[in-house]
Amino acid sequence: MSEKKQQVSRRQFLNYTLTGVGGFMAAGMLVPMLRMAVDPVLQTSEEGDLKSVDLSVDDITNEPQLVEWKIDQVDGWYESEVTKSAWVFKDDNGDIIAHSPVCKHLGCNVTWEGSEKYPNEYFCPCHDGRYYKDGTNVPGTPPLAPLDEFDQKVENGMLYLGKAKPREEA
Amino acid sequence: MKWTKMDMEKYIDAKEFVDTLLIPLSPFKMGDDTSLEKDAFQQEVLHLFVHEIEQQLAGRLLLIPSYMYLKDADKEAEVKRIQLFLEDAQKQPIEHVFYITFDASWRKHENELQGNVLWVPSIQTGDLKSKEVQSLIGDQVEQLSEYIRSYW
Ligand code: FES
Repeated sequence: MSEKKQQVSRRQFLNYTLTGVGGFMAAGMLVPMLRMAVDPVLQTSEEGDLKSVDLSVDDITNEPQLVEWKIDQVDGWYESEVTKSAWVFKDDNGDIIAHSPVCKHLGCNVTWEGSEKYPNEYFCPCHDGRYYKDGTNVPGTPPLAPLDEFDQKVENGMLYLGKAKPREEA
Repeated sequence: MKWTKMDMEKYIDAKEFVDTLLIPLSPFKMGDDTSLEKDAFQQEVLHLFVHEIEQQLAGRLLLIPSYMYLKDADKEAEVKRIQLFLEDAQKQPIEHVFYITFDASWRKHENELQGNVLWVPSIQTGDLKSKEVQSLIGDQVEQLSEYIRSYW
């Protein structure tokens, strides 16, 4: 009697385990589907978030300067504070330009006048990628696209930056 | 690049551009209450460092998962094991190898390791969110990546 009882409970135990594993696999397939359904919703909330970079418009010159600011980035379930940076200057028309420092080749950080050999250009130390001041990639260097530009606005004389976007071809 | 699916996808197509390996050396020890906090904190600092460096040099440097070892383990044996990792890694077009650690006991074995050891200052304690610590880390990262670049 007691033996029988034990057998049943062992079988039950196995049964539970298997259901558990099956459930786990189903969840594994469901999660991506769920993400697809939910993702667009998550993304729209990210759009249009402009943050002050603590730089007064009056302090922006013709010479690109590096500004850094922090944003809370939500990556799936993981929320973290990341530092963003941009090269900011006024172009010949007095318009503010904020270039992303991320090289369009393989993603190193570019520096304005980062090489003595190439004044008046952005320079990428990784494979000598170069960009003109307006962000256009120098032909013959590894990058194949211009630097991204940040969405921006000016409020109360302060600069706000948002997302870096690939430059539209003019 | 990092050890992620996304970056490895890129890596396979661009590996001739990625010639530098960054290997964090992370000591670990749970048995001793008195060092737990400090060890964990330094681990966090190291994590920050490697991620900053990776971000700066993402196109040419591959950051691989930390090499973990027992804090008081025999370093000779660890050197041998690391050598095995490297032999495997060198099936890829890797030319420069950098280790990064705050564990000073590697100093004695620096010459046995193939590649260069980068030292991060061991910040004893503090708040990683504080301005001071962050600017300290920022400066150091700048210097470390400049050092790495000097090998290119
Ligand atoms: S990552 Fe900038 S040139 Fe290759």
